[in-house]
Amino acid sequence: MSSQLSSQKVRKPGERIFCLLLIVVSIFLFWQAYQIAGFSSLSSSGAFPLAASATMVLASCVVFVNTLKLPAAEGIQFFRHCLPPVVSIIMAIILLYAVVIDSLGFILSSFVFLFVCIQLLYRRSPLFTLAISIVSLIVVYIIFRLVFQVVLPEGIVPEREIIAQITSWWSN
Amino acid sequence: MDALHFFATSWLSPELLGLTALGTFLGIYVGAIPGLSVTMAVSILISFTFSWDVNNALCLMVGVYMGGVYGGSRTAILLNIPGAPSAIATAMDGYPLAKKGLAGEAIGLSTVMSVIGGFVGIIVLALAAPTVSEFAITFQPRDYMMLGVLGIMLVGSLSGNSLAKGIFAGALGLLIGTVGLDPMSAEERFTFGVVELWDGINPVAVMIGMFGVSEALHQLHHMDKAVVKQKISRIIPKLSDVKKYLPLSLQTSFIGVIIGALPGTGGDIAALMAYDHAKRTTKNPKVPFGEGAKEGLIAPESANNAAVGGAYIPMLTLGIPGDAVTAVFIGALFIHGLNPGPMLLVEQPQMFWFTVGNLTLANIFVLIFGLTGIRLFSKIVECPKGILIPLIFLLSIVGAYAINNAVIDIWWMFAFGVFGYFMRLYGFPVGPVILGVILSSLTDENWRRAILTESGSLGNFFAHIFTSPLSSVLFLSILLIFFSKTSLWNKGLKPLLFRTKQKP
Repeated sequence: MSSQLSSQKVRKPGERIFCLLLIVVSIFLFWQAYQIAGFSSLSSSGAFPLAASATMVLASCVVFVNTLKLPAAEGIQFFRHCLPPVVSIIMAIILLYAVVIDSLGFILSSFVFLFVCIQLLYRRSPLFTLAISIVSLIVVYIIFRLVFQVVLPEGIVPEREIIAQITSWWSN
Repeated sequence: MDALHFFATSWLSPELLGLTALGTFLGIYVGAIPGLSVTMAVSILISFTFSWDVNNALCLMVGVYMGGVYGGSRTAILLNIPGAPSAIATAMDGYPLAKKGLAGEAIGLSTVMSVIGGFVGIIVLALAAPTVSEFAITFQPRDYMMLGVLGIMLVGSLSGNSLAKGIFAGALGLLIGTVGLDPMSAEERFTFGVVELWDGINPVAVMIGMFGVSEALHQLHHMDKAVVKQKISRIIPKLSDVKKYLPLSLQTSFIGVIIGALPGTGGDIAALMAYDHAKRTTKNPKVPFGEGAKEGLIAPESANNAAVGGAYIPMLTLGIPGDAVTAVFIGALFIHGLNPGPMLLVEQPQMFWFTVGNLTLANIFVLIFGLTGIRLFSKIVECPKGILIPLIFLLSIVGAYAINNAVIDIWWMFAFGVFGYFMRLYGFPVGPVILGVILSSLTDENWRRAILTESGSLGNFFAHIFTSPLSSVLFLSILLIFFSKTSLWNKGLKPLLFRTKQKP
């Protein structure tokens, strides 16, 4: 949260483009809001979205103008300080994880996800990472799947059969 | 008598008692571990607990909230890293105390004072909420609409450094909240012909994205911060200290409740204002402020926990969240089929007294867990970020999926996570977005009701604002916030009016 509170008196690289994109998106949304009911009446279903998107257009224009006035930050590069490689890599891994979680199932995809991320961020021996990933996955699984009864994608691992097998062993 | 019975619900059931204890315990750690925030934890918890019985879910989340607000002080004292925004003021004198080797004493004192603050907040909640709620029944639709706008404006103007950015974020949230079929006329809004969008974008997915994923992505910037170890010995504070600082603690607790009860202001602002109050009223501090004055530790800690009780007042009686955490909480109440608002106390008094009892219980657990288990604590807080952050991502994804057992919510969460990352990067506050999403339908519906009663005339609408004192006050407050933050005021009027005031 501290990043939110620090005062910003310089323009970071990419900030102008981001603010410009916000204007473009706001205008697009304003147009979409207009499509709902036009300017027919103040109590129509489109009135409130129109007001909200108009506010967005105005506010983003003000932000853009204010940003243009700021001096560019010195010694800050977009791909080193704003979007370092590690952030983009992790974003890509999460995206991949979201794609495969439904087909591969929670256990398998989460295990790979944890292993890759922890190895990337913590940089210890692979064996250590393996142990940490397995332990944390087991803890998460017990807490959420078994205690909280959260339904998780099963995928290709026959989870229910395994649990049924274990409970039958247990009762014997 | 009934009230007492409802109050004791969670005290007498072992299950609810256990869940409150668990929640408080978790909350203290969540609050203390830098990179984990209470908002993040409560948003993720909603998705896991929404199939539960409402009482169980509320016990756990109330515990996390109460514990989390307190827990932030721990790392503020030990590491000079506030675990939560409400602990920023705590670090100013707490860390110098720790550097002098008084970390244990500082933690003990801040625990006791937090609990005192917490109780003041709860008592005010119990006494004031019924009155506020009676008053709130007289509110017109336009008052609700303006209250919603006011809340977003306050959060927008206080949480960032630019009002325009705050307003943009709030309007974006309001817009996200309108996606889907219009509840009043069933017209499609922003659905682009996609049937999956008819139900709208799930606010929990937005919350997890904005507070969980984007925050964790930002943490990747500071992976290599070294952890400083502190030796902690005695933690139970001296009775003489508690007695000596009790008046200050009570004063700042009242500041905390009032600030917490205002829509849009929460524990962080309450703590800073309390710190300022302590600084102004303490004539001859034994140790100067900023160098380890106990007054500077007690004031913010009492205030930020008192603000919890305060924040519940508008949340339960008006349905207006005070800050991001209460916005998430209101989301949870809606999901469990409760309607926070003036009718809650009339229709479901058991919910109100149950919550009051719950907060009290959680506060007692803060005292118990706060004064014990410090060894375990220092172990857990040292958990390396390289392991912690992947786990946050994992929980965020599982949490988003668990809302509806649908992969689409993971996509929304991811999209808002990445967008939130860039918003934070360029100084846009994300709190107003969530507040906007939660308040969207309330503001929209009340706007339409208000304008319908004025038979669609904007002129009548504004004319009637000034016939009601409440509407006038709300309207003027909105204008005041707007103009006090624009350059017209800062460059033109302010220097004229406050010329004599010199900056120290």
